[in-house]
Amino acid sequence: MMRVAWLIVRKDLTVEVRSREIAYTTLFFAVSCVLVFAFALVRDGRAPEDGAAGILWIAVMLAGNLTLGRTFERERQSETLRALLLGPAPRAAVYVGKLLGILALLIGAEVALVPLVALLFQARLLAHPLWLSAILVSGTVGFAAVGTLFAAMLVRARSRDVLLPVLLYPMTVPVIIAGVRGTAALMQPDLEVGVVQFWLALLLCFDAVFVTLALWTFEAVMTD
Amino acid sequence: MTIFKRVSVLISMILLQATLILAQQPSQQGEFLPIDQLPPEDQLPAAPLLIAAYSFVLVVLFLYIVSLARRLTSVQREMDRLDANIKQGGRA
Amino acid sequence: MPKWFLPLALVCGLMFAASPLVIASADYESTMGLVQKIFYYHMPSAWMFLISAIVCGVSSVRFLVTGDHRHDRTALAAAELTVLFGLITLVTGPLWARRAWGTFWVWDARTTSSLVSWMISWAYLILRRYGGPGSENLAAGLAIFGTANVAFIYVSVNYWRTIHPATTVVPKLPFSMGFPLWFCVAAFTLLFVLLLKLRVRVEEQQARVDELYLSLDDFGR
Repeated sequence: MMRVAWLIVRKDLTVEVRSREIAYTTLFFAVSCVLVFAFALVRDGRAPEDGAAGILWIAVMLAGNLTLGRTFERERQSETLRALLLGPAPRAAVYVGKLLGILALLIGAEVALVPLVALLFQARLLAHPLWLSAILVSGTVGFAAVGTLFAAMLVRARSRDVLLPVLLYPMTVPVIIAGVRGTAALMQPDLEVGVVQFWLALLLCFDAVFVTLALWTFEAVMTD
Repeated sequence: MTIFKRVSVLISMILLQATLILAQQPSQQGEFLPIDQLPPEDQLPAAPLLIAAYSFVLVVLFLYIVSLARRLTSVQREMDRLDANIKQGGRA
Repeated sequence: MPKWFLPLALVCGLMFAASPLVIASADYESTMGLVQKIFYYHMPSAWMFLISAIVCGVSSVRFLVTGDHRHDRTALAAAELTVLFGLITLVTGPLWARRAWGTFWVWDARTTSSLVSWMISWAYLILRRYGGPGSENLAAGLAIFGTANVAFIYVSVNYWRTIHPATTVVPKLPFSMGFPLWFCVAAFTLLFVLLLKLRVRVEEQQARVDELYLSLDDFGR
């Protein structure tokens, strides 16, 4: 099954590398998002306390929403999703493949966003890079796991563009709380490792539970 | 009137009675909290809040029941219409 | 409609009519005075909110596993009731809080997680309404995710903020306050069952109408 998932990832990456459409648009959108926040919140050259953590995560979630929509829109247009589902590949593999592809895109965007946010908001985001990466990656996995399932579910639904955020954001509230609080804790001058570990543990539990749940329900909800 | 109109009318009459009973209680000001619990400029009489809360609950429940009753009667009507059509051996 | 419906509806109506009297006879609470009486409607509706969310989640699982549309109808009815009782809870709570805590809204664990769960049930209804054909399965998936998420939402918000009175209030209630509370809980539970039955009935009739239309189409050809 992992081999099939890997094949799907490679297919997506090949298509993406040729056009780079989703990567560029996602990155650009995330950067403009951060800029809008900068104009809205920076006063007298100073950002609000802990603002950087929140802005980073909001930008990631908004950009992630677009990425999910675009990725599955592309599948829908060429009917490739149906082809994938009709093929002999186990459906869970299709889910894992798409998830990995979306993760790659989002983490790529984050790599660009973190320095930008640190710069614009004078935030000490890069003080503990390992902890930050752990929190960012586990949070993104949680968000993408739920998002990939919902986006795949909605491919054939009406009003899918507006339904995805409506369904996704309330569901990923724990991710944003844990992600923002964890990142904010990292930015404090004296690091409390216990706090960061708690939020990280919560995120990892969330990931485990929801990836499993998604694998179970993918079959049942993609009945088309 | 169908049975559900009857039920909703009955319940609304009962609710109206209940509201009247509640309003007839001697208007009681809540005991004022000792001054260290709320900022002094903020001493709210409790009665409006209480009445607002209970009225809200009753109004919302009432509206939901009415909407259910309406949906049920309209579906029932459509079903009767279709039944009549079938009896006549015709199209929908 | 089943035989028990009308008598139970009468009992429920009478209980609700009697509830203001029962509540008025309860003792005042020492620190919060009159406004604490909102508790007698706020707590039962909070419990009904929780129960209808659970009913929705369980029915969704059964629907996805068996494919029987009866479970789907129950899930939809329960989701509507979740939104209804959630609305009641989220409005009566702040009205009580305005007097008891000094402010309408606080971002504490229970209020925030209730709000988020309420929004998820709204999302369920929006999906059912605007998702087009096939949205029953999608909505069932959403309900299952929502139910699984309750623990996470609660823990994350709890560690973020907490001010709500502890849940240990209820077992320690004196009889003068306990009786009105359980009376109202009984009334609300009865109401929940009745509304659920009514709502499912609407869906059943609608499904039969749709079937009739389909069969007529075939016949007319």
